[in-house]
Amino acid sequence: MSLLIKNLSVSLGGKLILQDINLEIKRGEIHALMGPNGSGKSTLAQAVMGNSEFRLQNSGARIIIDKKDVKNLKPDERAKKGLFLAFQNPVAIPGVSVANLLKIAYRLNNEQRTKKKNQEKIYNPALSVWEFNESLVEKAKKLDIPQDFLRRSLNEEFSGGEKKKLEILQALVLEPKYAIFDEIDTGLDIDALKIVAKAIIELRKMGCGILLITHYQRILKFAKPNFVHILIRGKIVESDGYRLAEKVERSGYKKWIQKSS
Amino acid sequence: MFRAIRGILHFVQNDISSMTQVAIQSTIDYKYGFHKPENYVFKAKKGLSKEIVEEISRQKREPPWMRDFRLKSLEIFLSKEMPKWGRDLSNINFDDIYYYLKPIRNKAKSWDDLPKDIKDTYDRIGIPEAEKKFLGGISAQYESEVVYKSIQKTLAKKGVIFLDMDSGLAQHPDIVKEYFGRLVPPEDNKFAALNSSVWSGGSFIYVPKGVRVELPLQAYFRINAANMGQFERTLIIADEGSFVHYIEGCTAPIYSTDSLHAAVVEIFVKKNARVRYTTIQNWSTNVYNLVTKRMTVEEEGIGEWIDGNIGSKLTMKYPSVYLVGKGAKGEILSIAYAGKNQYQDAGGKVIHLAPKTFSRITSKSVSMAGGKTTFRGLVKVSSEALGSRTKTVCHALMMGKDSRSETYPSMDIRVSDVVAEHEATVSKIGEEQLFYIASRGVGRSEAEALIVNGFIEPIVKELPLEYAVELNRLIQMEMEKHA
Repeated sequence: MSLLIKNLSVSLGGKLILQDINLEIKRGEIHALMGPNGSGKSTLAQAVMGNSEFRLQNSGARIIIDKKDVKNLKPDERAKKGLFLAFQNPVAIPGVSVANLLKIAYRLNNEQRTKKKNQEKIYNPALSVWEFNESLVEKAKKLDIPQDFLRRSLNEEFSGGEKKKLEILQALVLEPKYAIFDEIDTGLDIDALKIVAKAIIELRKMGCGILLITHYQRILKFAKPNFVHILIRGKIVESDGYRLAEKVERSGYKKWIQKSS
Repeated sequence: MFRAIRGILHFVQNDISSMTQVAIQSTIDYKYGFHKPENYVFKAKKGLSKEIVEEISRQKREPPWMRDFRLKSLEIFLSKEMPKWGRDLSNINFDDIYYYLKPIRNKAKSWDDLPKDIKDTYDRIGIPEAEKKFLGGISAQYESEVVYKSIQKTLAKKGVIFLDMDSGLAQHPDIVKEYFGRLVPPEDNKFAALNSSVWSGGSFIYVPKGVRVELPLQAYFRINAANMGQFERTLIIADEGSFVHYIEGCTAPIYSTDSLHAAVVEIFVKKNARVRYTTIQNWSTNVYNLVTKRMTVEEEGIGEWIDGNIGSKLTMKYPSVYLVGKGAKGEILSIAYAGKNQYQDAGGKVIHLAPKTFSRITSKSVSMAGGKTTFRGLVKVSSEALGSRTKTVCHALMMGKDSRSETYPSMDIRVSDVVAEHEATVSKIGEEQLFYIASRGVGRSEAEALIVNGFIEPIVKELPLEYAVELNRLIQMEMEKHA
């Protein structure tokens, strides 16, 4: 069971951004993707989620969720297969609260489970509306999100750190099989960073396979990755364990940048 | 000159979204786009003339003053030019419209008495359901004539009059003569003149002093004959200290030729009384919806318009409130939804004519798939209106590349001691927002419905439950059209 990315090349507006990316994230693993600005980290996140602005360049590319190629599926269908993306810059959605979004998303993502509940087998049924609300409030509390935030328009007039926490909250509620966190750590103070890292560890414990996109080693100290990948100019140039992140922290990306030019 | 005028103008344009465009598909069948065989006792020939107007008055056995009023209004209609502002009305062919139809000879007293095809029509739009659950009394208009009404007995006991306008004129000619055409005279505008000359149906409500009507009074209107104009006329008088909530709901089947709806509503709110008038109109998209709605509010009274416009090809409608007594309050809540090929030109007007009066206009408009909305607001504060307050808030939501939204708020303030506020926002929903929501497992049409329903929610919660649910369902269906 894994999120498998094979031979993925991606362009945006006719410009080639990613070249031949290969990654496999198994359930319960944390992978860190590090790289300088403009190296294509967010492009990878957007392309895997299915943003149609980002075009796949080669017919041989594969995005496989648990053996099913989702390359031709729409973003909402990929999400229903268990994929989640926490955005680097979550867009404001006037009039839609995180509570309302999650309520409908939870229902749509769990239609099968709900159906089963209504038939005879009550194995792992979906939460009722009441249970759902309870669990949402409880999860928000854990993340130190004030309850009234749940009713406000999503990402409107929230600080950067608050928005990131709301992204994490959505992941906790939707319980994805695979989650990509695109710079979830930027704009967070140390307390918020610890809370977010704790939530990521919790997701991992639930069996979620995680891709953590970041510039800094900071968050990786709290949520230790199994693997670290370095992305330079659209290519993964090196992969290793946690010590690779320490190397980046010490001497930056210069070594790889020089090599690739 | 002004001691305190606060003008707040937020112009928030979240236009990060010109990525790709919303795919616009041809609209699928309109939900209410069916129609029943026509079955009329009397159908006037097409077009408008002195003879037709006289025939209408004769058929209705009206007193001479009403016939003369109609004929005078006809002259005014013929002499007035089409409005030169607003939207293009040149496609309306006044000669190609039936101005009067009388569908069945006698009015039904109960649901069971209604002819089957009429009942079928109502069944399909779910009216009996609504009636069973929530309605205080129904006066449903099929064609020009009210054919069915069931008035709660308690209403009569309290002295409340709730009739169709024709019966109102027949049974209470003195009250009608005193108030009819006083707020909206035929000289007001071309379509008010047209309505005044050929009006038929509508509601007549009188609430006596101190009487509170706790359940909303409701009426449904429906156009069912091709090329038939609908010219209903509603008159509401709420005497001192009384309260009434009137709800008008409209659905209409679709036809290939253009259809005209030109109604007039006049409401008198006396001292300490309160009237709320709620409309959710869902005309099919070939209807020109041109309505003049006006109310006066006396001392410490409250007048409220809740005006929702979802359907029609073109709506031009600006409910207005004249605050004539000290401490009077007026509130206008306007919702407009314009989909493909639709134009909603809506808003509200408030005229402050007395001290310490208060008004608020709140507008929410949604334009989608190339639809266009315009907010037109007017607030006048006369030199008499010392210590008054007024606030206009308009929020527009645009979805899709070719959708348009315009805002024309205007204020005319002739006194210094007043607080006037204005706030406007425009939000653009594009691919970026839809992608975000999709990444949570929510597809396009559900996402659009979520956004639109969230956007209009502050107004929807003012509606009775039945209407709120129906409105949400209509929005959902509209979104599915474009999916």
